[in-house]
Amino acid sequence: MIETLVGITPFVIFFLLAGLAIGCAVAMVTQRNPLYSAISLIGVFVALAGLYLTLAAPFIAVVQIIVYAGAIMVLVVFVIMLLNVEEEVRRPARLRYLVPAAALLAAVLFAEAAFVFFFVGDPPAAAPGGPAVGQTVSIGTGLFTTYLLPFEITSILILMAIVGAMTLARRTAVRPGELDVPGAAVWPLHAVAPGRAADAAEVKAGTSAEAAHALGLGGTPQQKE
Amino acid sequence: MIPLKWYLALSAVLFTIGVAGVIVKRNAIAMFMCIELMLNSVNLTLVAFSSYFRDASGQLFVFIVMTVAAAEAAVGLGIILAVFRNRESLDVDDASLLKL
Repeated sequence: MIETLVGITPFVIFFLLAGLAIGCAVAMVTQRNPLYSAISLIGVFVALAGLYLTLAAPFIAVVQIIVYAGAIMVLVVFVIMLLNVEEEVRRPARLRYLVPAAALLAAVLFAEAAFVFFFVGDPPAAAPGGPAVGQTVSIGTGLFTTYLLPFEITSILILMAIVGAMTLARRTAVRPGELDVPGAAVWPLHAVAPGRAADAAEVKAGTSAEAAHALGLGGTPQQKE
Repeated sequence: MIPLKWYLALSAVLFTIGVAGVIVKRNAIAMFMCIELMLNSVNLTLVAFSSYFRDASGQLFVFIVMTVAAAEAAVGLGIILAVFRNRESLDVDDASLLKL
């Protein structure tokens, strides 16, 4: 009795976590509100972290929680809040004639997957009792010996991502008339060209010589030292 | 011990859901999250193989995939912010041209 309980416990845990993962994934795709999708995706990440624990990979499980559920999803939720995303509107279905083709292809895909699942046996697993591979020690050792170069390249990738994100997020779109040079002053026209005092035009420039140049009144702007 | 192919089947199911989400969804952030789901299903495959063959390389790959996902999140959300600023919409159908 106890032995059978101990025997089936990993399977029960696996099916619970797998069901949680698949259910949250389906909920993520079917939700129309992106915020609910994000919360469902966090459920998937937590379920996957539990599955990593059943695979004796505690380090990856913790990193999964910290990096995915902690960092990336906070960023996503932050952007959702920032943009005040509205729910997706339901659109009229286009290309309706493709539905049978999609169903047929999906059936073929499922048949292939089922064939592999039921008729292809597991490869022989490594002998039990070998070195523990999921521990932080083995991962750190591998990361700084065999895979040192990919690790360093990863740091460059992160640096590029930071620079790219800052460049993208900076407000670069400037409409005409909005261009504000720091330190520029508005010069009325009569101060630049007393002969054209009737014009109400205003120019922005640092000095009167620059303003005159901008108005096409001759004179070149002096180069600043 | 749970057979390896159960993990692979679960990973395949999650990946398929992610692909379906990318195709079905029109919201850019939702598509982004579906891509994250696909990356995670691949991670599950790598960890399962790593655990079954007692080779730490798979878990190192997962580590690197996670850093790539973090970089992708930063750049992808930056692109989403820039698109939203230009078009006042997150619908990818509104952003089907690369110019304004």
